[in-house]
This record gives sequence, C-alpha cells and structure tokens, in this order.
Amino acid sequence: MDQLLALVVAVPLLAAAAITGAGPLLGRRRRLLDAVAIAVAAAVAVMLVVIMVRTADGDEVYWFAGFRPFHGAAIGIDFEAGSLSAGLAALAAVLVTAAMTFSWRYFEQVATHYHTLMLTFLAGMVGFCLTGDIFDLFVWFELMGVSAYALTAYRPEEGGPIQGALNFAITNSVGAYLSLSGIALIYGRTGALNMAQIGVYIDRHPPDRLVVVAFVLIISGLLIKSAIVPFHFWLADAHAVAPTPVCVLFSGVMVELGLYGIARVYWSMFGQALGHRAAISHTFVALGVLTAVAGALFCFRERHIKRLLAFSTISHAGMFLTGIGLLTPLGLAGAAVYVIGHGLVKAALFLCTGIVLHRLGSVNETWLHGRGRHLRVTGVVFTLAGLGLADLPPFATFLGKGYVDASSWAHGLPWVLPVFIACTILAGGAVLRVAGGVFYGLGDAPSEDPEMAEMASEETTETVSGRDRTPLTMIIPPAVLVAAAIAFGLITRLGQVAQAAAIRFQDQAGYNATVLAGAHILHPVAAAAAEPTGITVSDVAAGTGSAVGAIALALAALYWRRLPVLRRGYEPGTGLTAAIQRFQSGVVNDYVAWIVLGLACVGGALAFAIT
Amino acid sequence: MTPGQRRAMFLIGGAGLVAFVVWGLLGLPGFGHYPGPYGFIINRFALRQTHATGTVSAVNFDYRGFDTVGEEFILFAAAAGVATVLRTLRGERERSPADQAADRDAPPTSGAVRMAALMFTGPLVVMGWWLTSHAQTNPSGGFQGGVVLATAFIMVYLAGEFLVFERFSPVDVTDAVEAVGAGGFAAVGVAALGFGLAYLTNFLPKGQVYGSVSSSGTIALISFFVGMEVAAAFILIVVELLDQTLLIRGGG
Repeated sequence: MDQLLALVVAVPLLAAAAITGAGPLLGRRRRLLDAVAIAVAAAVAVMLVVIMVRTADGDEVYWFAGFRPFHGAAIGIDFEAGSLSAGLAALAAVLVTAAMTFSWRYFEQVATHYHTLMLTFLAGMVGFCLTGDIFDLFVWFELMGVSAYALTAYRPEEGGPIQGALNFAITNSVGAYLSLSGIALIYGRTGALNMAQIGVYIDRHPPDRLVVVAFVLIISGLLIKSAIVPFHFWLADAHAVAPTPVCVLFSGVMVELGLYGIARVYWSMFGQALGHRAAISHTFVALGVLTAVAGALFCFRERHIKRLLAFSTISHAGMFLTGIGLLTPLGLAGAAVYVIGHGLVKAALFLCTGIVLHRLGSVNETWLHGRGRHLRVTGVVFTLAGLGLADLPPFATFLGKGYVDASSWAHGLPWVLPVFIACTILAGGAVLRVAGGVFYGLGDAPSEDPEMAEMASEETTETVSGRDRTPLTMIIPPAVLVAAAIAFGLITRLGQVAQAAAIRFQDQAGYNATVLAGAHILHPVAAAAAEPTGITVSDVAAGTGSAVGAIALALAALYWRRLPVLRRGYEPGTGLTAAIQRFQSGVVNDYVAWIVLGLACVGGALAFAIT
Repeated sequence: MTPGQRRAMFLIGGAGLVAFVVWGLLGLPGFGHYPGPYGFIINRFALRQTHATGTVSAVNFDYRGFDTVGEEFILFAAAAGVATVLRTLRGERERSPADQAADRDAPPTSGAVRMAALMFTGPLVVMGWWLTSHAQTNPSGGFQGGVVLATAFIMVYLAGEFLVFERFSPVDVTDAVEAVGAGGFAAVGVAALGFGLAYLTNFLPKGQVYGSVSSSGTIALISFFVGMEVAAAFILIVVELLDQTLLIRGGG
C-alpha cells in the first residue's frame, strides 16, 4: 500500500512534537532544530510534487484507518489527491521551506515554538488541500488558523502584533464558527460528512433552502480566510505585524487556500445540486472584481511595504476568485497557474522586504528612499519579482492571468480584461515604485503622510537590523523563487496540463465515483467546453502591456513632482488615504460588522437566485 | 466608523443574516427524523469491529481517529501559541511576588480552602485517570480525563502557593509530556504503516471480551496519549497565565 498521502501530514506533525520535546534538551545546539525543520518541510515538498505528477492521469484516494466505503457510505476519512490539490499543497511546502531557510539567520533568537508552529501550520495546509471529508477540512482549517494566529503574535513586545493577531483570530474564528454551523446543517440533512457522499445525496433531491444556507455558511469562513472584500480587513493588519517569513506563507498560499476550499466545496458537493450556474458564477465574479479593484487602489496608496504587498495580495485574490467563479475549466486552470506564479513572486517580494528590514531597519518606503542602493542583488531580485507581479512574460503569472482573461472574454465578460489590466498596473506599479525608489534612488521620495508614516514606523524589533552583510541563507531563497516563477512559465504545455487537471477537478460525477467506488476515471467529463491554451500575440501584448504600464506608472509616481505644471505639495489620492483609514480602522468590531453585512448580502443574493 | 454607524450596520446585516439562516433552518428534517446512514452503520458494526462498548470513543479514536489527531494538534499548537505570546521577553525579568509587600506577610491560605483542595486532589487524580483509561468501555476518554487530571494540579495551586505549584509542573517537563502525548498519538498512526496497514489502523489485538479495559486495541493507547497531551497542555496554559499575572515583570 502506498503511504505517501498519509506521510505528508504525519511527518510534519511528528516533527513538530519531537521539536517541542527535544528543544529544551538541545541547549546551545539549537541550529539542529532549524536543520530538522527545514529538512522536514523540504521532504514534504518533494513527496507532494511526486503525488502531483503521479495524479496527472487520475486522482488517488487514501482511506485512513483502512475503512473503505460501505455500500456508497463512507465510514472513515479519506484523502483525495489530484494534481490541483497536490500542487497547491506542494506550493505551501516549498514556501515553508523557503521561509524557514530565510529564518535561519533572520531572528536574533528563535524560540522552539517557532519551528513547532511552522510545522503544524504546514500540516494544516497540506491536510486542508488533500482531505475529502468536510469535517476533516474544518479540522485542518482550524489547525492552520491557530498556528497562524500564534505566529502573527510572535513578537509580543509591542502592542501592534497582539492587536493584529487578535483582529486576525477574531475575524477568522467568526468565520470558522459559521463554517462549522454550515457543516452541522449539511450533516443534519444528509447524515454524512464525506464530501462525495454528500454530493451524491443532495444531488438526488431538488435544491432546497437548507442546502443554500449550508453552502453560504460553509464558504463564509473560506471567504474570510481568502480576504475577499468586504471580508478582507484582517489581512493587512496581520501582514503588517507578522514576522516577514510568516507573511510569505500568509500571502503566498494561505489566502489562496481559502479560495481552493471554496472550489473544492463547490465542485465536490454543491455544484450539481445547486444548479443555477449563471447566478452563482455572477455572484463570485462580482465579488472577485470588487476585491481586485479595491485591493489595487489601496495597494497603490500604501507606504508601508508589507501592507502594500498585503493589499496587492487582496487584489490578486480577487482575480483568482474571478477565475474560479467563471466555472470554466480554463478559468480554474488559469487561477491555479496564477496562484503558483503569484505565490512564488510574492514570497520573493516579502523575503526581499525582510532583507531590507534586516539591513536597514525599516519598511517605510518614504524613509527608505535611496537608502537601499548598496543592496544590489536584493534590488535586482525585488525588481524582477515586481515585474513578475505585473504579469511580464514569461513569468507564470502572465500565463495564469492570460487564461483567466481569455476565459472571461469568451464567456461574455469582455470588460474583465481591461479592468484586470488596470488592477495589475496599479499593484505592479506600486511594487515597482518601491523598487525604483528604495533600491535605485530614482525620482523623489514620496511625501510623508503623517498617519501613514506612523503605521510604517511600527516595525522595529523583528530582526537585528543594521547588519552590513546579507547572509546567503537570506538572499538565495527569494532568488530561487523568482527563477522558479520564470521556469514554471516556460514549461510548454503547462496550460494544457492545467486545463486537464481543472476538468478533472470540476467533474463531480468522476470525483464521486473515484471516492466512493474506487473508480479510475480515464476521461473526466468537462463541466464546460475546454478552450484553446495556446499563447497568442494579443496575450503577449496584454502581459507586456501590463508590465510596461506598471513601469510607466511607477516612474510617473517617482518623477511627477518635477513637472513644473503641477503645484508642489499636491499629492494625488489623499482622498483615498482618508477612505483607507475610514475602512481599515484597526477596530475589530468594524470588521465583524462588515463580515455580517457582507454575508447577509451574499446569502440574500444566492437565496434569491436559486429558489 | 462611529459606534453608532457600526451598530446600525451590524443590526441591518445581522437582521439579514439571521433571517437568511432561520429561513434555511426551517428546511431541517423534523425532530427524530435521522436521515442516516452513518449512525446506523456505526451502531451495527462498531462493537464487532472494535470490541469497544464506548461507541463514541470508537468513532473518535478509530473510525474518525484522523480528525482527532488534527484536533489534538490544534490544542498543541494553541498551547505553543500561549507559551509564545506570554514568554518572558527580552528586557523583562521576573521577581517573586513576595517582594511587593515586604512590610507584611502574605495572607495565609485559609485552612478550609487547603483542606478542601487537598480532599479533591486525590479523587480528581483517580477520576481523571479512570476517564482516560476507560475510553473503550464508555463515552469517556483522554480529552475529558486530561482536563480533570489538569484540575488536580490546579488544586495544588489552590491549596498551597503558586511557586509550589510551579515546582510541581515546571514548564520544560510539561512541554516534554505534552510533546510525548501529541507525538505518541501521531506515532501510533505511523506504527500501523509498519504492518503495511493504512495510517491509524487499529493494528493491536482487540481482546476477547467486549468492553473490558484491555480490549479494543489502539483505542486505549490513543486515549492514554490524548490524556497526557490534554493534561499537560492545560497545565502549561495555566502556568503561563499565572506566571504572567503573579510574577512581577518589568524592564531593567
């Protein structure tokens, strides 16, 4: 029997326990802990890549404790691995490996619990990706959440981290309770927790109100986790205060896992039963576009580099949700490729920001202007990653975004393309503006907005700052990640493979048969027609255009004060700053009020559309 | 946002959400209409398959044992999180609380409280241990037993002093016990792999007698490890919290 599917969760859990137990015994030889933790994360990554490659021609199912389904009813818990789920889990493991390698020299003193929490976080993410059981999904969701809250508050010396972690924990726990209520409702209706079995059961009956409410409640926790507007407020607060290596995981993969959860839940349980594909698609696309636009606008206005990157993640989450919400194979495939490309470059950007913090002791763009000139390698890596974020070919981001745009174009939503190009230019432009100002000293420092400066100066004691050399363990991970993002985009037939995986993922009947009857599905049935994945000249033009636009916007933002026609001291977007502060108040009560209002709207819209 | 605006927004949204959820709840099956099939299958097979008369434990530690590993590690991560947030920080040092009132003695714990606490300690240990070790015969198990065991330690704190309590449960030892508990559960799962079975398969002999303490294979073993982990995690959390409140900390 092949045990790889169990080992990818069991190994990090065992290692977490072993590190906690052995940590105090090691005394000074703590480096051993770092080495063990990195080795475990890397081993998990390798195992997951093997699973990903192996499942290209058919999903694999693993029944824990050996309890196979009994006449179509699941008794135990299963893992169901396909290329998409294993690929996302592999991304998580790769980013954990990179973050831990980076942490080797980053922290002044790493407590044992840091490794423990990183490994439980990893186990939670992997379990969440692979599970085929809705309650098990919730368990791993919670393990991921609890580890993440604790890691956010890793530097409790200051008020900020505790505040950010509390906002994160409260909003996400509210979501978790709602999700659990939804799971209880669906169990009350079906007497089952296995997703395939639930899907079969509710598909036999006409869609009713209980199923609609259960669906909305289950995805509410996932919408909050994936920072979809108006459920996104916690994200920037948590990113601003979490240690930079932890931000890598939050932005690079945790937010995306929330979206994956929505896709998994929809295509394994509710897709066929709910019907009304158009209404559901429109709801998700509307949420996605709103999120993409809001995130991009806030991103451009930000001066705190970590918050800036966090808002860019929100903008991208909106684009991913749009890709998934199209409910087409190419849309989902595009989102998957985009998630991987984005995860790699965003992680590199955060790691470079960590180097800046390590060397210069600040993440305030205004203060840093021109001060990073001597960080040449870091500057090059950061700039390349910024171009990747702006969808420059041949980064994998370019392919993924191109597929999402192409699929929305072909399905009667041509306006998505220009809107997303604008979002990419705004978010990419903001990152490239940071690159040009901090690492090359181009143009003028942006004027100091007192409130923004206050937010940006919170960063102090995360790392020993003011070192005069960048350790290799800190610069190699981001460089490798950027190279991987390019290499991934150069794989020929990547689009075809991703679309095939997406078709498999969306084939609910095939999924059910694989899980409950042990079938090996050779030819999954596409939920919607497959679309061409070739790269056309207009795709390349759109990607290059986004990148050129982002560069132009960045240069404009750096140099426009030198234009004689403009009054000095005028800063565009001051109104936006006020808006950010009004919405992003840092008061968790506001955030919860937004969550409740948002859910009422989403629920109302779906209830109205489906019944 | 002003508190008034927030309240208005929450009330509007809350009313909408409540209306939506209630609308859905009205679609639940009537009371007593269990749709099955999970409960029926478990009731029919659990005793024969696991030799455990505690069917709830059979589900927790055997059929859905993999969920329970995750749940146990949620508590484990939470305890690690508490220890992280409340750790003694750079620039902080600890002093004994006695320094604060040098001119007078700390008020002694009243004899009645001491007696009551001591009276409870023994029974609590027995009860905690009984709950932890009887998962297979009734709906008890390591989660409940572990909490009761931790309470026995907290009785020591009530009966005596915090410093005595801390000597009973030093953080490093509690950490180690917790790690063995959590790791032990995960390791029982891995042990099954050695027999070519799926992770967490109940690979031990299940005994001849239904519902005896020695029956049901790995269920008893897992429950024992869970009890260890839960007791240690709760003691750890209490020690950290008391540390934070009772020891004086400050810079310099």
